[in-house]
Amino acid sequence: MARDIDRRLVAAGRGARRGLTAAIALGFAAGLAVIGQAFVLARIVSALVFRHVTLGAVRDDLIALGVVFLVRAGLSFGAEVAAHRAAAAVKLSLRRLLLDHVFALGPHYAAGERSADLAATALEGIEALEPYLARYLPQMALVALVPLAVLAAVLRFDWISALVLVVSGPIIPLFMVFIGYRAEAINQRQWRQLLVMSAHFLDAVQGITTLKLFGRAREEIALIGRISDDYRRVTMAGLRVAFLTSAALEFFASLSIALVAVLFGARLIHGDIAFFPAFFVLLLVPAFFQPLRGLATHYHARMNALAAARRLFDVLDTAPMVRWGEAPVPAGAVSIGVAGLVVAYGPGPAVLRGIDCVFPAGSLTAIVGRSGAGKSSLAAALLGFVAPASGGVVVNGEPLDTLDRAAWWRCLAYVPQAPRLFAGSIADNLRLARPDATVPAMLAALARAGLRDVVMALPGGLDARIGDGGAGLSGGQVQRLALARAFLKDAPVLILDEATAHLDLETEAELTSAIGDLVRGRTAIVIAHRLATVRHADRILVLDAGRIVESGTHAALLARGGVYAGLIGAGSVDAAVSCAI
Amino acid sequence: MRDLIRLLRLYAPYRRWIAGGIALGLVTVLANFGLLALSGWFLASAGVVGLAGIAAQNSFNFFTPAAGVRFFATVRVVARYAGRLVDHEATFRLLAGLRTDLYARLEPLAPLGLAADRGGDLLGRLVADVDRLGDFFLGVVAPFSVAAIGSVLMALVFAAFVPLGGVVLLAGLVAAGVALPLISIRLGRRPSGDAVALQSAMRADLIDSVQGMAELLTYNAAPAMQARVEGASAALAARQGRLATIAGIGSGGNVLIANVTMAAMLVIGGRLVVAGRLAGPDLALLVLGALAAFEAVAPLAGAFQALGGMRDSARRVFEIMDRPVPVCDPACSPARPAALGLVLAGVRLRYPGQAGWALDGLDLALAPGERLTVLGRSGAGKTSLVNVLLRFAAYQAGSVTLGGVALRDIRGDDARSLFTLVSQQTQIFAGSVRDNLLIADPQADDAALWDALAIAQLADFVRAQPDGLETLVGEAGVRLSGGEARRLTLARAALRDTPFLILDEPTEGLDPLTEAAVRAAIAAIGVGRSVITITHRLAGIAEEDRVVVLAAGRVIEDGRFGALKRAGGAVTRLAALHDRLARI
Repeated sequence: MARDIDRRLVAAGRGARRGLTAAIALGFAAGLAVIGQAFVLARIVSALVFRHVTLGAVRDDLIALGVVFLVRAGLSFGAEVAAHRAAAAVKLSLRRLLLDHVFALGPHYAAGERSADLAATALEGIEALEPYLARYLPQMALVALVPLAVLAAVLRFDWISALVLVVSGPIIPLFMVFIGYRAEAINQRQWRQLLVMSAHFLDAVQGITTLKLFGRAREEIALIGRISDDYRRVTMAGLRVAFLTSAALEFFASLSIALVAVLFGARLIHGDIAFFPAFFVLLLVPAFFQPLRGLATHYHARMNALAAARRLFDVLDTAPMVRWGEAPVPAGAVSIGVAGLVVAYGPGPAVLRGIDCVFPAGSLTAIVGRSGAGKSSLAAALLGFVAPASGGVVVNGEPLDTLDRAAWWRCLAYVPQAPRLFAGSIADNLRLARPDATVPAMLAALARAGLRDVVMALPGGLDARIGDGGAGLSGGQVQRLALARAFLKDAPVLILDEATAHLDLETEAELTSAIGDLVRGRTAIVIAHRLATVRHADRILVLDAGRIVESGTHAALLARGGVYAGLIGAGSVDAAVSCAI
Repeated sequence: MRDLIRLLRLYAPYRRWIAGGIALGLVTVLANFGLLALSGWFLASAGVVGLAGIAAQNSFNFFTPAAGVRFFATVRVVARYAGRLVDHEATFRLLAGLRTDLYARLEPLAPLGLAADRGGDLLGRLVADVDRLGDFFLGVVAPFSVAAIGSVLMALVFAAFVPLGGVVLLAGLVAAGVALPLISIRLGRRPSGDAVALQSAMRADLIDSVQGMAELLTYNAAPAMQARVEGASAALAARQGRLATIAGIGSGGNVLIANVTMAAMLVIGGRLVVAGRLAGPDLALLVLGALAAFEAVAPLAGAFQALGGMRDSARRVFEIMDRPVPVCDPACSPARPAALGLVLAGVRLRYPGQAGWALDGLDLALAPGERLTVLGRSGAGKTSLVNVLLRFAAYQAGSVTLGGVALRDIRGDDARSLFTLVSQQTQIFAGSVRDNLLIADPQADDAALWDALAIAQLADFVRAQPDGLETLVGEAGVRLSGGEARRLTLARAALRDTPFLILDEPTEGLDPLTEAAVRAAIAAIGVGRSVITITHRLAGIAEEDRVVVLAAGRVIEDGRFGALKRAGGAVTRLAALHDRLARI
């Protein structure tokens, strides 16, 4: 699993493999330099201590030592930079890939609960890959390479020490795997618990007013203390085992140094061996264990990165459902037909169960029904955001899935229930609809949406910043800005999902007249919550449980006394279709 | 810096754990230093003895240094293991302490003292800050303490052999542990500042992308947005590349400083050995010891990095902890009056830092059991009225009495025990339906819970769930629909038998059939209580209902709805607008 993810990650960035290989090669060269340094150092010390020479006599060796220092520093620098380059390539291309894919999956996938998670995956999730790619993966290769090189060098001079290393070296990973399995399981559980713990605290802090209203805030303080305490006890019990892995590494590393020293000491006393190889080998023992230690410090980076990568690949492995073609939208006024349309999300029951209807060119159709009836799904199918399980949408005789998607979207304006203001100025938000719009055109659109005076009163006017970190607009003003965008786009088709939020009566009146103006002369499809809208509709479609159960004009449907009349008459009229009865 | 000292003072109750963690960290570092230095000395001594002949061999004490080597090896392993346990124990205790301290400080501030200056998730950020401060010991205090004490001790050991060696070692350690990280941070300040700004811009664009995707797609603006994110991503990578270069210089510099220090020992010690003023084996000790010593300062680069973030977090947390408490509580409350008539007379309220009066001479009286609808545009003072009643805000002038007792003389908790508020802001907690209900009444048995659910018209829904009362509602109730969530808060209200019920836009944003159900639930819960309904809509108000209209913080109309509709004032105007909308 992890290996699979590694391969996919590395494959994602062009040049990433080369960068990683370079980082590993540089790291390995640094390992060799350490051996060289130990060799030269041992020569110098042994000359000074045992041959009693002056510093001048070892001048060449001292110069060599200096050169090795510089080489090591250079290699260390190079490895760091190469590893970063590799990681950067992967991150850049994965972020591009992810965003492309999310846009291909469409709003139905991306919106709602998942949106915050997707944004976090694209930013922090992908950033979390860096320490893993740049540090853990090269270190992983070095764990195999450097100790072997060190071992070869040791073996050349002393087989007994080599034996010590051979025995303790491979035992470490074995031992670590042995404890590690359990430790990893514990670690994962801790990780999850830590998240639960943090989430509880966040929940309590965010709900502090509610708790205070119920007179429970002080008890919550004690509760937080108690939960933290329980958590600490459980976690520490787990950590006692988890830390054994690093203790094992430490144990073998320290023991090997001690063992090598003592074994050499015994032989040196009896003059069985020279000082130079003994000192050389002793210098190398820490280098033998160094890569493993490095790996242990990046362990958490690995866990974070794998969790992020899994989320990332979950998204990338989800296939987009909607298909598009390349045909242009047939010229002329647009009429839309829907035939046998069935839409289902996942394995559950279908949300639209056989819709047949026509939206004639230039007419206003209102869609009503209680929540969950399938109104939004019908709009999503018309927009091309969801793929029909069967049946489909036809635009001027041309099936929607053969059209070029940009061409289809060019000839419609969509106003969702909760319009989004994008970070930027009001002009930026308007130009979304028409990138080349002139100032007079934008002002005209704002005027038709009844927002011109409000905008002119803002500091900066059209250039006032809104959205994230900018000035706040009220709910009604956001609605009107979205209408202004639609006015500016001036497309033949309008799909509008009216807001259910209750605005005050003044705002309500302004919005109602702006919508009346906007639908005129277009093929307008409105998910209606206002009585004014349904009254003026050429036809009303009443949806219930994924089917059209009634259709006709307001007067005809009321006279019929069916579902629509029930919705209107249930005493909840104003909420059903308007907040103003 | 002052914030960090204050933070340290918060840690006072845990000083034993902290001292223990630092001591064990120190032992770990010193044991490694001892192990390598002694091993070097031991080998060299053994070598010298080996060449000196049998007599010297026999007089050489082999066992003490050999035992010393084994001792240091064992101590290191044990100290490291124990140290990590103590460090984590300390960290968890600190975090728990910080959380409870912070929560105790936040409680009197909520909700008005916790308002964010301009949007933003103040509380979310606060929690993240506290989580980060929990690592202050493990990430900052421990590494600095161990490095400082350890460096001095190791330098003293060296100085005992060669005074100059001690000085050079200390200089090398300071250069690698302090100078190098500070230079790196200085060099990295610009690119890392840029990187933070780029990340936050990219976050805004990414959230816009996913949440505004429908509009971006239909306006064919997705490619432009993607290009923007990609541009930010590339710019970020460029800054990170610069930071990686700086990090590379740091790690290369570290290697260089450690080795140069070691080479300096070689030269200093070598001269003395040649001159016969230093024993040969001592040179081996100095050389190996110098290499091992740098383990003590290795974590400092990370600690310096963490320090900057900690300082910002500490500043933000203390800024909130130091906010003035909006309402002062009396020591105890008077006895609860028998009849709870509510009278507000000339109440004026101004929020700290605001120029205008939120309430400006508000007069209102409510008899026990009476129902009242409060109308007004946003900013008219509706929410401020609720804040005064719930003792969330202190009024500056006028009087508020409950059954003749001044509201000011009642403790906040006791005052709030008389009111139940249902509003959109009411939090649903992650946990089960039962957990959420028990907040209203911890002693309620299952029968009471089901009764409350039935009144709120939610019993059928809960019964249909496989887990019943134990059904998990998700974070902030995300697994419930809007109507279900609202009815859950109503069920909570039904569990609390308080004399007053305040409904703040109780049916906002619900679909028609749900709204009908919620209205029925509200009618059932309101039986026998004084009910204040706040709304800006005229729907559902009967002719004989009492209506109060607020504007600019005072009551401008007060009377029966039917009468006010004909009186020619604000209600008349609203009703006309209402009718006009109905006719469009």
